[in-house]
Amino acid sequence: MNNRMELSFLPIAENEAFARMVISAFLMQLSPTMSMISEVRTAVSEAVTNAVVHAYDGERKGKIYLRATLMEQKVEIEVEDFGCGIADVAQAMTPFYTSKPDEERTGMGFSLMLSFMDGVQVTSSPGNGTLVKMTKLLHEEDLDAL
Amino acid sequence: MVRSRKNGEVLVVSLSGEIDHCAADAMRGEIEALLKDTQVRRLIFNFEDVSFMDSSGVGMIIGRYKTMRARGGSVGACGLHPPVDRLFTLAGLHRIIAQEDAERQENA
Repeated sequence: MNNRMELSFLPIAENEAFARMVISAFLMQLSPTMSMISEVRTAVSEAVTNAVVHAYDGERKGKIYLRATLMEQKVEIEVEDFGCGIADVAQAMTPFYTSKPDEERTGMGFSLMLSFMDGVQVTSSPGNGTLVKMTKLLHEEDLDAL
Repeated sequence: MVRSRKNGEVLVVSLSGEIDHCAADAMRGEIEALLKDTQVRRLIFNFEDVSFMDSSGVGMIIGRYKTMRARGGSVGACGLHPPVDRLFTLAGLHRIIAQEDAERQENA
């Protein structure tokens, strides 16, 4: 099944739940298992939260894009922002590293995306924004029989 | 959403819904207000009605663990569904937060 969706929304905390709902609803056509949906929802939540908290730093203006493409064997998900960007992507992806330790951020966001998805690619340019591309391979056991 | 029940030095806080960045910010304030009661020495989180949690929830839990540790108290958790339990494992929370029996908390 091939299908594609794209959505944009404001970088406000309330839209984190909205983004999770949208990705779950879009993946429903695959009849996925609870466990697969839970993994994708967590990864999307982490990526969107990063955009809200770090890229736009709570400014409530700007755009976050959520895109998803269904292919035969995999799902590709993109979360893109046009916020402050990340100067050192490798450092940002280091487990437990956070630029905001005083705000009870754990620095686990990218680690969880890597744990729950099969591929995570981060492209960022300071001042221009960040694109997080995630891939989830579809195994038969991830999909309930119809 | 946060519900709480106090029994002597033990405060059981039942969380519900989805604990993301947005919800964690609200819960943090509510739980810190409950912890102003310095009689509380043990804080137990009940996750029975939590359907989703991400790293923001983990940060909120670790923050309350620090509050309790600063007063020589401790933190426990019960009612962990598999996705929340997996997050506990990935974040290393099981090392600092002991798992409690949900039913025992209910009858306490």
